[in-house]
Amino acid sequence: MDKRTSLFRHKHPYDLQGTEQLFVEAMAQNAQFQYANCDDYRRICQMQGVDVNNIRTMDDVAKLPVLPTLYFKHHELFSMPAERLLIKATSSGTSGKMSKIGFDTRSLLHGLSMVLRVGRFHRLLSLIPCHYIILGYQPTRQNQTAFSKTGYGFTFMAPALSRTYALVWKDGKYELNIEGLKKQLRRCGRSLFPTRTIGFPAYTHMLLSQLKAEGISMTLPRGSKITMGGGWKQFYAQRVEKEVLYQLAWEVLGIPETDCVEFFGAVEHPILYTTCEKHHFHIPVYSRVIIRDPDTLAPVPHGTVGLVNLLSPMTMSMPILSVMTDDLGVIREDCGCGIGSPYLEIIGRVGVRDITTCAAGADQMLKEVGP
Amino acid sequence: MILAHGQLHEDVALSALLETLEADCIRTIASQSITQEQVIGACETLGRRIAEGVYDRLLGQFMAGFDISAAHLSAALQLFSRESLQYKCRMELGDITEPLRYDVDRTIRRHRYPLGVLLHIAAGNVDGLPAYSVIEGLLAGNINILKLPSADSGISILLLSELCKLEPALADFIYVFDVPSTDLASLQQFAAVADGVVVWGGDEAVAAARSLAPVNTRVISWGHKLSFAYATLDATDEDLTALAHHICETRQLLCSSCQGIYVDTADRTILEGFGRRFFEILRSVNATYSPVPIGLRAKATLQLYNEELEQHITGNTVCRGDGVSVTVTEDRNLALSCLFRNCWVKPLPREQILPALKGKKGYLQTCGLLCGEHDRLPLSDRLARAGVVRITKAGEMSRTIAGEAHDGEYPLQAYSRIVEIG
Repeated sequence: MDKRTSLFRHKHPYDLQGTEQLFVEAMAQNAQFQYANCDDYRRICQMQGVDVNNIRTMDDVAKLPVLPTLYFKHHELFSMPAERLLIKATSSGTSGKMSKIGFDTRSLLHGLSMVLRVGRFHRLLSLIPCHYIILGYQPTRQNQTAFSKTGYGFTFMAPALSRTYALVWKDGKYELNIEGLKKQLRRCGRSLFPTRTIGFPAYTHMLLSQLKAEGISMTLPRGSKITMGGGWKQFYAQRVEKEVLYQLAWEVLGIPETDCVEFFGAVEHPILYTTCEKHHFHIPVYSRVIIRDPDTLAPVPHGTVGLVNLLSPMTMSMPILSVMTDDLGVIREDCGCGIGSPYLEIIGRVGVRDITTCAAGADQMLKEVGP
Repeated sequence: MILAHGQLHEDVALSALLETLEADCIRTIASQSITQEQVIGACETLGRRIAEGVYDRLLGQFMAGFDISAAHLSAALQLFSRESLQYKCRMELGDITEPLRYDVDRTIRRHRYPLGVLLHIAAGNVDGLPAYSVIEGLLAGNINILKLPSADSGISILLLSELCKLEPALADFIYVFDVPSTDLASLQQFAAVADGVVVWGGDEAVAAARSLAPVNTRVISWGHKLSFAYATLDATDEDLTALAHHICETRQLLCSSCQGIYVDTADRTILEGFGRRFFEILRSVNATYSPVPIGLRAKATLQLYNEELEQHITGNTVCRGDGVSVTVTEDRNLALSCLFRNCWVKPLPREQILPALKGKKGYLQTCGLLCGEHDRLPLSDRLARAGVVRITKAGEMSRTIAGEAHDGEYPLQAYSRIVEIG
């Protein structure tokens, strides 16, 4: 019996305790599959002395090889023939490097089941149609980045009356469509149906500030939402406190704070994290998070900052059951929203991009010059 | 903020100042000159006041931000002392008082003149460096236009405006502008006025400066460099400890910081042993320093862990722990380390020094040499022939002493010209 199925169909999306054994078993099954079908995964298990046939507890799961997202940028690891895989998403590409990740149909169906359950839990799933303002790229055959796909995917949570993109494909290139967005927002203000915006927080903030600067304000119909995903990434310098953004949403679009929802997910960890009413990312049953010491990589207790290791048995087509992101984060338990499971707080990216050293510069040149 | 004629202006004054910049410079060149003594006197007073703590409130912040020790600051201040600056001028400019012989009964006098106007395009990786670049320009008698790096902490403009207060004769010789690198129109105007463009930074910055400057303007570039250590198998623990201190102290961020160690061997087992030996030393030395911030440590750990996963392809071995690491590789490529107290160890038998490094000539700077006395001279010679411009003891790779050449050249010579009159 595929333990994944039971896990992804579990009634309560945040019942971590009730699903722990199921999670361990699903992870064990996934690890065994990867071991049998992915040479590189098998090699790493052997190198790290991990016995995939002996995974019985969460402590055992923590010992499974953790693959850093960096590793996927240089290696293509498939445990199934590529022609059986449906999507080859690439990460949003903010750092310039792309990962090729493929999903098999069954894994995607589990993903869909998860999205529906989480969407229903957070009341994002709705039969009332709405207008979508998408602060991202209009999907085209040329653009395969994950965001344009997930952004598009989200427009099925509620039936779409319209989809307006901030970056539209025109004459072979993308163009910024700020005027079009403003026009559409004004129209949405007069519509009977709600509006949902989708985009990076930084883009959302940019749009709201621009509207405010131009003195544009309106009250979008009840049920309108600001949905944000993708993190702050290269916009750390412009990062605003979330309260400021919620305040802007209220002033400019008349959307209350409780209707500002954020998502988090990585291509390498396609699990839908959604904020609660207190804007915290609670860990859903499909996933577990282990925070690891920045020097030794050993698990650290809740409340300690470290590297974020995300685990999920969802995907069989690749060994992404335990991945390490480039983020620093901490697990906390004191939310009080009633969801019960602990939540993950992302502190920021590892490294400080702004420090450019003369030695680092020279290395860049050496690479260009060649050995 | 802008500094011109000893006065601070808001950035809006830029266009008005640009309009008269060329005329102002020509007037200054025609009617004024500054002596080395004036510059040295002002620097000496400024250095003394910094040491006395007059600017502590401002300097304290940036010292803390960059983890600069008081010992380092006092070493840096030493460079501003009268003795050091006089020594620097003497070492760099040499003596040209002896006239040039033209004929049996005729000689020609030689004089050193400034280039005229220097535009300094400074890098942001070392605080205070932009101001130092200007002081070098002043020592050669030039008018200096400084374009601040985008991440400037404000320290340069503070130091230079104090300098003008201490020696008003310098006021017309110092301009500081805070224009972004994207404001090409302004930069082109600066470059058009300048006789020389002094650029600090990478190939990109140098290429940009070349494209800015008219073809008859000299471009003097201080580019990015890489430094390393070279060790023979009889390198002492004492030397390795000194090198470890250097790595921990500079966190491998300077051009002169050691990125890794080349070892005089082709034997993998010996190399591994050497790597482990240095790892233990680096680990224990690192324990005496304040740790690198968590985000930087995490980044290095991720890179190294990834390296471990790729061992079967690269053949590299990683020793890591307690915030430091040593990666032993098979290749001999001069490369950047993961920085922040993570270095490489590579094999490089002495006969291979020249072929391995020759192609990297323009990027080579310091080599810390760890060897027995009998090897020091022959190895130094090999390294010098390969293009290294500074060969030091293990712990002195980032030393700064007056009269030192910069990347193999004397800046004051580059900022001036010899005029023959007769």
